[in-house]
Amino acid sequence: MSSPFEQVLINGDVEQLETADLSLLETLDHVLSKGLVIAGEITISVADIELIFVGLNVLVTSVETAKKVVRERQTGNE
Amino acid sequence: MKLYAYCLAESVEEFTVPVNGISGAPVRQLALDGLVALVSDLEIASVPVTRENALMHEAVVRTVMNQTTPLPFRFGTLATAEQIQSYVSARKTALESRFALVRGCVEMSVKIIWNASFNDLKVELPKSQNEEGPGAAFLLKKKREIVGSERLASEAAELKQWLSDQIQGLVREEQVSLRPTEKLVLAASHLVERDAVATYTQKLTAARLERPELHFLVSGPWAPYSFANIDLEFEMHFGVS
Repeated sequence: MSSPFEQVLINGDVEQLETADLSLLETLDHVLSKGLVIAGEITISVADIELIFVGLNVLVTSVETAKKVVRERQTGNE
Repeated sequence: MKLYAYCLAESVEEFTVPVNGISGAPVRQLALDGLVALVSDLEIASVPVTRENALMHEAVVRTVMNQTTPLPFRFGTLATAEQIQSYVSARKTALESRFALVRGCVEMSVKIIWNASFNDLKVELPKSQNEEGPGAAFLLKKKREIVGSERLASEAAELKQWLSDQIQGLVREEQVSLRPTEKLVLAASHLVERDAVATYTQKLTAARLERPELHFLVSGPWAPYSFANIDLEFEMHFGVS
């Protein structure tokens, strides 16, 4: 079974740039919001954490940020 | 001491090498009414949501995926052995039904981002309604918003159908959410037989070329996270949780 981290595919220039971040976001989208739930037994800590919840809209933001970085790099190389 | 629960499986062979999970704790099997829960003993009150912990949860589930298709627990599930046992016993029939559904399958995820937005739509209304005055202008603005929303909803529904057509016959079950007014317009989870994953990926790769105006995020294979919530199913059918 191959890793999903190697198979995140999106169109355009961001494909190579943000794969790791997008993979993490996809992982969070799966493990934090889906799966079997034993009622009342989800006990996660949100204090002193490096990463809380990343929603779907952040995923979009990530793509847009990546595109912006690519554009800026291209402009800088010209 | 509590158990951190990663997933349930129908059966899992003993790991040939030790598998560690959250906080480096060893992962062990807990036999439950013919099923197996993969758990770690943890002496913590809650599980910090960190990159490492999220990836570790997924890594343990993925290790089981190499053998069989499990039903993953949601991240952060800490319970006693008795609570897990009680959960499984009370939902044995529903869990068996879920395992029958996902057996031999993996989950593939597709997200589609489009650039359509309400502000981009040019909504033309009949000229008879283009009357002057603040009241008329307000009502016309509202009507444009309504017509625009309907058009976005229609285009999103067409997109959903188009995607479904591309992978017809390859998906055992799907969950699709549409958000026509948002950039992330479509999020789909597809239950795909393991043998069909390569074909599924090829079909989507070809489909992406058909729609260069869209951004696609395709990921997987995953454990069937989106098809594991039996309590949600119960709530949907009976209106209670």
